[in-house]
Amino acid sequence: MRFVTALAATLCALGTTAALEKTANAQEILLTGPLKGQPPARNLRLYREGRFEIAPAMSFGVLDEYRHMFIAGLRLQYNFTDWLGIGLWGGYGFSGTTDLTDQINDKSPRNNLTAVNVNHGPGNTKADFGAQVAQLQWVVAPQVTVTPFRGKLALFQKVFVDTEAYIFGGFALVGLQERGNCGNAGDVNGTACNTPASFALQSRLAPTGTFGLGLTFFLADFINLGVEYRALPFSWNRGGFDSRGGGSNLDFPDQKITSDDRTFKFNQMFTVSVGFMLGGRKTSD
Amino acid sequence: MKQAGRWLLFAAALSVLPSTALAQKPGGKPSKPPAGAAGGATGGAAAAGGGEAVDLDSDQPPKDQPKTDTPPADTGGGGGICEIDPSACPKTADLKTEAKKEVKAEVYAVQQNPVLKYHRFEVRPFWGVTMNDQFVSHPGPGLDMNFYITNVLAIGINGNFYSGLNVDSDFNFQNRRATRVAVPLTEYSWAAALNFTYVPIYGKFAGFGSFIFSYDIYATGGVGAISTRPIAVIDPDNRTFDFKPKVAFNLGLGLRIFLTKWLAANIEVRDYIYPEKLEQLTIASGPLGKPNDPTSPSNPNTWYADSVTITNNIQMNVGLSIFIPFSFDYRLVK
Repeated sequence: MRFVTALAATLCALGTTAALEKTANAQEILLTGPLKGQPPARNLRLYREGRFEIAPAMSFGVLDEYRHMFIAGLRLQYNFTDWLGIGLWGGYGFSGTTDLTDQINDKSPRNNLTAVNVNHGPGNTKADFGAQVAQLQWVVAPQVTVTPFRGKLALFQKVFVDTEAYIFGGFALVGLQERGNCGNAGDVNGTACNTPASFALQSRLAPTGTFGLGLTFFLADFINLGVEYRALPFSWNRGGFDSRGGGSNLDFPDQKITSDDRTFKFNQMFTVSVGFMLGGRKTSD
Repeated sequence: MKQAGRWLLFAAALSVLPSTALAQKPGGKPSKPPAGAAGGATGGAAAAGGGEAVDLDSDQPPKDQPKTDTPPADTGGGGGICEIDPSACPKTADLKTEAKKEVKAEVYAVQQNPVLKYHRFEVRPFWGVTMNDQFVSHPGPGLDMNFYITNVLAIGINGNFYSGLNVDSDFNFQNRRATRVAVPLTEYSWAAALNFTYVPIYGKFAGFGSFIFSYDIYATGGVGAISTRPIAVIDPDNRTFDFKPKVAFNLGLGLRIFLTKWLAANIEVRDYIYPEKLEQLTIASGPLGKPNDPTSPSNPNTWYADSVTITNNIQMNVGLSIFIPFSFDYRLVK
């Protein structure tokens, strides 16, 4: 009986001990020794902090319909910290016609059925269809870049490159040329959309947003290679067609070219760049 | 009952001791331990010696260390070897020379591959989207299964399922209506391939300076089949196409970001290259309803284009990689 009582008392006390320990462990871990207060990484190469970057860039459109889109541009960026920078990306756009455009140009009949939609000369003679499709002329985009990930890349275990992954987002102004309005009184391309003059391109400014992500490979303290994906979504009338504006739900042609004929396109592009870093590179403690 | 009271007192003492040792203020500067009551690592030494606490981090020897008049065995740092064999005792000058020698310590940029794939299976379910077909998109689920023969080389099979998921885009219809030009379209049913995968690049990233994850980049390629058929847009009243498998080659590049040692997020771009028989753009001029008449629009032989078109179906596949077995052992210690 004594033994049982003693055992019960001991177990009771140990239980209390365990309970007390749980309470006591619920405090912050106090790191002592040589690691106390130390940063997670020492002598980290700070490629961006306090530095300015000039990066000539070339962008290539993806899933382009009537024109292959190219943008020769430049990214300017100042980095407040190693992970946060503001900058400006912009460029001049040029393009070439796609196979679809060439086929339409060759095969589309020029007659009354296509007179509103396909470029033609007097008397429904053939005219260049490529001249009526929209093209991006320039882009300017102030943007914020956040670089949360830093690391290195091993290639065949022989070449090691400091690498960073970043995301960016900003506001973009897109200068483009698309078929001008026609069909209404006062429209820039006239009141009839079946005349050759109605296919002329007009300039327009399209405000939109832009965002994307990319990788930077630092070849040296002052130079890097970049690859990035960028989305530049907005609505535009890429083919120069009368495809909307009529019917109860505006989904049918109305023999006019207006803003109703613009359709949303999630414009996408890949960019390659060579970045030059200005200013001395710092090193973390 | 008295015995029980003693046990209770003993147990109470047990319960008080550890809780007192941990009861320091979070973030506060630890106070200097009093003699004989030091906590943590020094506590045991103090208790055992019954005297002042020993600071293990200190460069100074304990105060009560017995002094001796005996000098060290030698000043050359040889220790006991100098007493046993003076000829083997290194000279001070030798040590200085040795210290000046350049040491070429081999330090790998990525010290230890955090995820070994050797002799592991990778099961990778994914969702694919079309990247290069603005007319018909071919989204659909897929599955990759690879066995890693070495840490960087794998052999495996890959399958895609598209049936019923092909999307004939609105753009396509509007283009046809506006220009009176029909673009031949194709839809897919399934694809399967035998592949080899090579992992030439791997590395690690620090996220926000607070956590580290590893990744690798792989190249893959193989051969298999893809089952496709034209979508009848030129003469939909008379033409009904069946799915037919074609030989398809594929090449791809992918990125895996390891979330654990057995789970990774995965994104890859893969190009399926195959010969396609598109829909014939003209309609046969013969009589209807005579499928055996070589000039009839009802004859299936008049439905296909005369030539074969090499088609690229570029897909972006996003999925998860699951490595089996879930764990592995390193051959060498870290």
